[in-house]
Amino acid sequence: MLYFDHAATTPVHPKVVKKMEDVSRLDYGNPSSVYSSGRVAKSIIEDARSQIASMIDASPSEIYFTGSGTEANNIVLWSMLYNEKKHVITSAIEHPAVLKVLEELQYFGVTFDVLPVDSTGLVDPKDVEMAIKKDTGMISIMYVNNEIGTIQSLQKLIEISKKRSILFHSDCVQVIGKLPLSVLKIEADYMTFSAHKFYGPKGIGFLYRRKGAPLRPLVIGGGQESNIRAGTENISGIAGLGVAAKLAYQNLNSRIDHLFQLEKYFKNNIIQKLPHIIFNGNNDQHIPGLCSITIPRKKNEIVLAKLDRKGIEVSNGSACSSGTVGSSPILKAIGVKDKLNKSTIRISFGRDNTIQDVSTLIDAICEIAGA
Amino acid sequence: MQFARSLVPDPIIVGISGGVDSSVSAKILKQQGYEVECVFMKNWDGDDEFCTVEDDYKDALAVCNLLDIPLRSTSFSKQYRDNVFKNFIEEYSVGRTPNPDVLCNKEVKFNAFLNYAIDLGGAKIATGHYARIKRNGKKFQLLKGIDESKDQSYFLYLLNQHALSKSLFPLGELRKSEVRKIAKESNLVNFAKKDSTGICFIGEQKYFREFLKKYIPSKPGIIRSHDGETCGKHEGLSYYTIGQRKGLRIGGGYGNNRDPWFVSDKDFENNILIVSQGIEHPSLYHKRLKANSLHWIEGCAPKSVENLTAKIRYRQQDQECIIIHINNDTCDIEFAEPQFAIAPGQSIVFYDGNICLGGGIILERS
Repeated sequence: MLYFDHAATTPVHPKVVKKMEDVSRLDYGNPSSVYSSGRVAKSIIEDARSQIASMIDASPSEIYFTGSGTEANNIVLWSMLYNEKKHVITSAIEHPAVLKVLEELQYFGVTFDVLPVDSTGLVDPKDVEMAIKKDTGMISIMYVNNEIGTIQSLQKLIEISKKRSILFHSDCVQVIGKLPLSVLKIEADYMTFSAHKFYGPKGIGFLYRRKGAPLRPLVIGGGQESNIRAGTENISGIAGLGVAAKLAYQNLNSRIDHLFQLEKYFKNNIIQKLPHIIFNGNNDQHIPGLCSITIPRKKNEIVLAKLDRKGIEVSNGSACSSGTVGSSPILKAIGVKDKLNKSTIRISFGRDNTIQDVSTLIDAICEIAGA
Repeated sequence: MQFARSLVPDPIIVGISGGVDSSVSAKILKQQGYEVECVFMKNWDGDDEFCTVEDDYKDALAVCNLLDIPLRSTSFSKQYRDNVFKNFIEEYSVGRTPNPDVLCNKEVKFNAFLNYAIDLGGAKIATGHYARIKRNGKKFQLLKGIDESKDQSYFLYLLNQHALSKSLFPLGELRKSEVRKIAKESNLVNFAKKDSTGICFIGEQKYFREFLKKYIPSKPGIIRSHDGETCGKHEGLSYYTIGQRKGLRIGGGYGNNRDPWFVSDKDFENNILIVSQGIEHPSLYHKRLKANSLHWIEGCAPKSVENLTAKIRYRQQDQECIIIHINNDTCDIEFAEPQFAIAPGQSIVFYDGNICLGGGIILERS
């Protein structure tokens, strides 16, 4: 099988598996317990927290473990209920874990505006300025888009929010392992992450909250995670996340380079064989190794099925729970019309992919697309 | 990597619903050695509470995983809305009783899905219908399923030669009890799942009027007995069907005895629902009907059929009849016996023994 859908999820790194296995087997103590096994469990969590904090130049007390990136987004956005200023500015290419939450929050008095993006997926800082109202309490704009890989000019946007004392949240789920990230440079108030996007386990994510930024819990109980996320901790998941974070930042540059090489090889070769295909996204500002391509007149469902038959796995954005895929709202937001929208597939490379794999992929796509 | 493309035959694409019938179809084909792939179709895009699409998908996935069959999903909700649902609402609005399953088969399963399957590289499609396809020279015939009580040829009479040439009905030679037995023996999760009844997007029959009201405004009027006595109120003629017995809310105070009341006619001009008491009431029976939108499976009307029979509703016994008059689109039919509750909008489907010949839509009775 050839897997090219690393933006959806990644295989768990063997070192992560090993760590989780060890922790599951040996360290069953409850981190809240005061005896030895409890203390050991607690220290595993705190080690992981430090590991993660140092990876993004944050302080450990600014990191909160959650059940997913989605949950982390929810905690941040639901906190708006306690904010005096209840207007939120967001973008048209956010994940449902932001947009659908905001829709729900409308029932509780939160209002929001959705900013358009240009044809490459970028938000215009001027639009942000224009959208700010008296009661704007938060700007929530993702750092890297999951379908087209566009990197937002986040620093510019954060500058605007800082000037007006507006909180800034960024969904950073697609960032780790593909882009260096330091909270000293990207001065957002909240950033949200998910372990399974960078070779960690599913069911664990984390939230960075800048010291002092307001935050309220969604899940209330025994006070774990500094009262922000109650419930006995997922210790093996947290330990796995810690290892995955460490691995993601070891040789980050060579890893980024590897992804760029695969991407370059893919683009250069496929465009020669299928000159009519269209690349979506931003040519200059995008994460390495993610290609959104439109193959005119080829339904993506059919292309995907035929690739699947050959043991090749790619995707077309986000599928719903019954497996059907409609047209992508993100592609729509960058102006891809309906027919082309449904002819678009996403290929996202990962650390284990080789040039040989990419070459196989190209041949398969060409065979299916009839070139 | 090498692709041994030519060694792998084109797959049969099974339309799987999550129910026991289509699941067993996939199982049988796989057992017969075909390359099999399944496609789950989501054809209804409303977010109605009645809709069970997610649970159905999970069942389909469980079956496919067990059988080691790839499962794919797609949606024909636009085709369904434009070609089936629109007609369904239009027909009900004018007080007729349409048969959306018939149209769904023609427009969605054996057109949109068939084309999709061919696009996928499929050799043929297969479904869980209880019917058979027989090749007779250059022509394909549609035959009843051998399980008379389950035979679904009634719903398939709008299929054409192309669709039949590209379809397989693996259950046609089986009885429902055998299908359930196969499902159970193969450990399919849905072996005991209840058969879907009624119309897929509405779910349970008791919600029917509630559902229709969302699309067709109510237009209350009176209910009058065939003898001219006012005996109740109705909510709108569209919500009632000829022959309907339940939900009329006619109290026991009316009538000569305790026999139930049935809808026998609709007076559209005066917005009056006409009812008759007792299942034997002559106003509920007619010997003749006119049908239009004729379709013949072989492409044209059969020249002469010695023992022509017809069904005017699903699962009805075959009724002897003759064609009194016919042209390209319409025909007049006379039955040997008077027929209970001939409902305009429903399909009349013709048979020659086990062969389903085609049919039309009932226009009026007399």
